Amino acid sequence: MALTAGTPTPGSGGDLPAVADDRREVVEPIIVPNTLWRPVDPAAYDGGRPTQITHLRELEASGLARRDDARWGGALEVIPTKADYVLDLIRMNSLWPLLSGLACCAIEMMSAATSKNDMDRWGMFPFRASPRQADVLIVAGTLTTKMAGPLLRLWEQMPEPKWCVAMGDCTCSGGRYKRSYSTIEGIDRVMPVDVYVPGCPPRPEGLIYGMMKLQQLIKDARGHWPEKPVGPTVPDGI
Amino acid sequence: MTTSRDPAAPYDIPAHASADDPRVTLEEQLGVFEPIPPYPPRTEREAEFYTLGEGEMFINMGPQHPSTHGVLRVVLKLNGEQVVDLDPVLGYLHRGVEKLCENADFHQAICYMDPLEYVSSLFCEWPAVMAFEKLLDVEVPRRAEYIRVLSTELNRIASHALFMGWMALDLGGLTPILYSFIERDEIVEMLAALTGQRMLFNYFRVGGVNGDLNHEFMSRLGAWMSRATDQIEASLTLLNENEIFVRRMRGLGVLDRETALRMAVSGPNIRASGIPFDLRRAHPYSVFPELEFDIPTRQEGDCLARYLLRMDEIKQSLRIIDQCLHEMPDGPVMAKVPRLLRARPGRAFAAVEGPRGVYGVHAISDGTDQPFRMRIHDPSFVNLQLVPLMMPGNLVADTMAIMASLDPIMGGIDK
Repeated sequence: MALTAGTPTPGSGGDLPAVADDRREVVEPIIVPNTLWRPVDPAAYDGGRPTQITHLRELEASGLARRDDARWGGALEVIPTKADYVLDLIRMNSLWPLLSGLACCAIEMMSAATSKNDMDRWGMFPFRASPRQADVLIVAGTLTTKMAGPLLRLWEQMPEPKWCVAMGDCTCSGGRYKRSYSTIEGIDRVMPVDVYVPGCPPRPEGLIYGMMKLQQLIKDARGHWPEKPVGPTVPDGI
Repeated sequence: MTTSRDPAAPYDIPAHASADDPRVTLEEQLGVFEPIPPYPPRTEREAEFYTLGEGEMFINMGPQHPSTHGVLRVVLKLNGEQVVDLDPVLGYLHRGVEKLCENADFHQAICYMDPLEYVSSLFCEWPAVMAFEKLLDVEVPRRAEYIRVLSTELNRIASHALFMGWMALDLGGLTPILYSFIERDEIVEMLAALTGQRMLFNYFRVGGVNGDLNHEFMSRLGAWMSRATDQIEASLTLLNENEIFVRRMRGLGVLDRETALRMAVSGPNIRASGIPFDLRRAHPYSVFPELEFDIPTRQEGDCLARYLLRMDEIKQSLRIIDQCLHEMPDGPVMAKVPRLLRARPGRAFAAVEGPRGVYGVHAISDGTDQPFRMRIHDPSFVNLQLVPLMMPGNLVADTMAIMASLDPIMGGIDK
């Protein structure tokens, strides 16, 4: 054990040392050297080096990820055909949203998917739990600074083409938590957004209306953002 | 793309930075999703947890997981399929409510209470309003108290109905949630007719409630009450007579009396362990001394008992609603309070019994029109602390079942 005897350790319970008399003295943080945990397999966790997350950024830089494999490639890309139109029709009528509820709006999102307001009637398939299988990210609820990283990673993991719906006031503009120190005032600060659904929370009908607007965008092939960078586009200072 | 970091370079995380640290930018947070935190252990508990024994491994569950009831992240230490230990990581929904309340006046602070407990919002408004009324020495009209009891009991039924669906969903059954959302949608539409909002009602005011009972609410309530008992019984038959469900839940995640008392658990979780503690009877508030209802208690303390106890509470709530409708007095629904509320300097604590336990608000006033400090006690946070105690020895598939039976809501846990 690297701790010296008598060191006050928070959370240890047991025999706590006597409280120092001079309470105005600034207490130094307790720093325990990292000698305690290591994986059983020394090669695991990249041999103890800092972890490198597989980003799609290199892929993004190569431009491969933005290419729509189902369409014409090369010089023919600029020519819209009937096949493109059919492809958009297919895509708009089978939207697979990601099951990622953050806060209050998630309950209304679930309400929109269950018996009374059955989103499935318009081809918005019930929610997928894996980002690899989803193509619409409905951000339902307050996005905090701590959750922003995981949400961005979910967005990166979703395959192209993909769309983002901001549900609720918190995700549109900050809403009632605009003045808070720990929330992000609108998710368009960290990721591209296609449809904004205001309301605190919006009714399920409101979400369905927003999804129908998204369908319209997809049909017009304006939905995805081929020229916008995908991934962490966080301005400095957030 | 504006990135200052070379994407090929390894992440250079400062030695003691954690994801809670505001100095850690989003870029760096992307690097901390390994189960093991990027900083050395700060407590003995962390040092013990993040040391792997022979044949053990870490699994990171969340913050995006369909059955963590929100954005809870759980680091599981597994030995094979068996959970050895568990470390909940909180803060993914921390919205700074207590600080926001200090910068809002007494009317505005009620609005911040709603999203804490977004399944049963009225229960979070009530203690705040009660604490402010104690600070301001306001007498609430009796009709307003009855309306408060009526609306909160409706909200309790909606919350417990959702619990039934989620409980089954976390065990792998999809159908019950379709039925429970039918109940929930009917109740919230009813409350929307009364309050104007489906989820975050913002209905209670200092000195009463926002509006009187109206025709649409009463007609919806009457139509629902006439078939509620049969409908809920039919929904319950789906699960109570399902042998797979009952066998899976019986004896799972047992919470004994001593642990429950030691950890200050409240609500249905402690009543399912054999302790008949209900704030409506233990420290009666509002008009509950005049109402007649039982406190269902079960002795087993397992997941099935917690599930069945909530279903018993639905029936008691229906009883209370019946009595409220019969004994509803006439009169105003709002006391005469000034527009600008200036409380006396002092402190007040108020607590109510919600569907998850005791909600409490400790409000301190310094004589201005804003609360000087508001401390919110949330039962989900207390109940979640049971999870590391109850989980070891169970299988991975049962972790979510045990967590669902405690019914935590992340909005209240992270505040």
